[in-house]
Amino acid sequence: MSRVTRVLACAGLALSVGSTAVLAADDSKFALVPGGPHPYFSAWEQAGKDAARDFGLAAADYKVPQKWELSQQNQLLESLLSQGYNGFLIFPGDSVGTGSTAAELVANGAPVIAGAGCLQDPSDAAFCLGTDTGNSAYLGTKQLIGALGDSKRIVHFTGFLVDPNTQLRIDAVQRAADEAGAQVVQVIADIDAPEPAEEKINAYLAAHAGEVDGIITTAWVPAVVAANALRKIGDKRIKMVGIDHDEVVLQAIKDGFVTGTMLQNPYGQAYIGAFALDKLRSGCTVKQDAPLMANALTAKFIDSGTAFVGADGVDNYVDAMRAATKALFDTFEATYLTCQ
Amino acid sequence: MSPGLSRIVRTDWFGPFVIALAAIAIVAAFNPSFLSPLNIQVLLLAISINALIAFSQMSIIAIGQMNLSVGAIGGLVAISFAGMMEVWGFPAPVAATLALALGLVCGLLNGLVIAWTGISAFIITLASLSLYKGINLGITQAQPFYGVLDAVKAFGQTNVLGPIPWLAVPTAIVALLLWYMFNRLPVGRFILAVGGNQHAAELSGISVGFTVTVAHAISGLLAGLAGILLVARLQIGQPTIGDDWLILSFAAPVIGGAVLAGGHVSIPATLLGVVIVAIITQALVLFNIDPYLVQVVLGFLILGAVGLNRFREARLERPAGRI
Repeated sequence: MSRVTRVLACAGLALSVGSTAVLAADDSKFALVPGGPHPYFSAWEQAGKDAARDFGLAAADYKVPQKWELSQQNQLLESLLSQGYNGFLIFPGDSVGTGSTAAELVANGAPVIAGAGCLQDPSDAAFCLGTDTGNSAYLGTKQLIGALGDSKRIVHFTGFLVDPNTQLRIDAVQRAADEAGAQVVQVIADIDAPEPAEEKINAYLAAHAGEVDGIITTAWVPAVVAANALRKIGDKRIKMVGIDHDEVVLQAIKDGFVTGTMLQNPYGQAYIGAFALDKLRSGCTVKQDAPLMANALTAKFIDSGTAFVGADGVDNYVDAMRAATKALFDTFEATYLTCQ
Repeated sequence: MSPGLSRIVRTDWFGPFVIALAAIAIVAAFNPSFLSPLNIQVLLLAISINALIAFSQMSIIAIGQMNLSVGAIGGLVAISFAGMMEVWGFPAPVAATLALALGLVCGLLNGLVIAWTGISAFIITLASLSLYKGINLGITQAQPFYGVLDAVKAFGQTNVLGPIPWLAVPTAIVALLLWYMFNRLPVGRFILAVGGNQHAAELSGISVGFTVTVAHAISGLLAGLAGILLVARLQIGQPTIGDDWLILSFAAPVIGGAVLAGGHVSIPATLLGVVIVAIITQALVLFNIDPYLVQVVLGFLILGAVGLNRFREARLERPAGRI
């Protein structure tokens, strides 16, 4: 984890060197708030520190609700507002339920950007900066199907049902499977926590390992647990495509138990999110003709990038993440913002 | 019905035992791989840890209270155990001992505050839940500890005999010790006496404050042990460990016939309650239940298991001539 953080920090530093002059806002105090504790967001903390340094912010602090509960996140956001935070990058605890809190924050002069997950339109979030989760799941499933033989029976392990991304992922995996004539034999959801993931994935593989040819995982913890489970039963017949960059998954790719993983870009989301919040506070607005994308939740979506990494690229996966961040950052202001 | 059989039928573990057997037979009939060695191992791994969680809550139910901080204590001990190995390089036995001591202290603090202030255990453990979870997040910053020693990982992944995992060994020892304590030792009888009738226990010379404190200390110790075993099983010190223990911790003792008002608990019945919940949880996966309906089905099945056991008890409580 620390090695990844250091490399990402260097990436952030490199980006800052090449950036155009920024309008420093030393009273900008931003909070980067995930839906709850989760390793996916670990890069947000370092990204916030880098952004605060690079853009002259008073702070860009990573603040974690104690549990994955909408009420806890809402209370934390309101508390942070009262403590003087004046801009928020939020992973919505609920795509609809977080909307009212976002409206409250914006009404108090604090711009809001949805990060890593989107708010349902209409919302007061300036935009949603995250992985195109549907596309990532679709591409990952395509990669998996490409690695399978004639038999294409897939099981899909995914995350919290309250996560606005989960249904998008389920639909995308099904679509990719339908297009390729593959069969999604089962979807096991709500397992983006270690204990249920361990229990359900192992139970499934104990009973059905012989009946599936491939595993697609579209959440962090199931990817880790499934990679460990395949290693434990020593089964390289079952192909698997995971998600994210946990050490366990990367090692399993190197050892041949996992075909590859779909990288997301949490560092870029927080770093560029903090940059954009500062710009919004400085009077910039989102361009009327900005090339925003649409997904099932919002028409204000910006893709923070995704990439497949297999055995041939696993040693240099940070390069893929760095490239995605740099590509987006270099053109972000010109592409999406209008500043006076 | 012979007297011997009648005595067995009247034991508090008989109902859960029959339900567990029926559940195994039904699931195995539809899915023969349910009884494969690998699946039995997977089931035993889940049962080993969940039983400790249930025993932790059962110790508090015995005194007629509840401990909402079971998961928070388990999570704090788990990340402390993994953290001591990763950050300070402690050997596993040292880290485990210190982490267990932390669980004991957390439980002890709960008990002392409850005993001294007389405030409801519900309130105190609700507050300590937040406190212990907050310390957990403060230490980890919500990031896992990955530096779990290979010996610990091996302990969590290997079997002692056939499909029986090593993790089942500490749980079996704890079950035996708890049975002995509640049935043979004064402190166990004191706990049940306080749970049955606190006023009568006090008049009998039992120190209620001391007994409550001991019960909470035992609860903290068992929650901590569950956290340590979970680190061995998951091979990672996840800060979210314990977050979803609460429902299970109550479900298993209640299915096992524990009286929430206190005074009566059963170790074998609670263990069977854990077995029933584990089978139900696994059956939902094996039968490909729609992910959006899993919680609904789980809730109905647990209610059904509790209802069946209560129905059996009610029948047994009727006059003998009507049985």
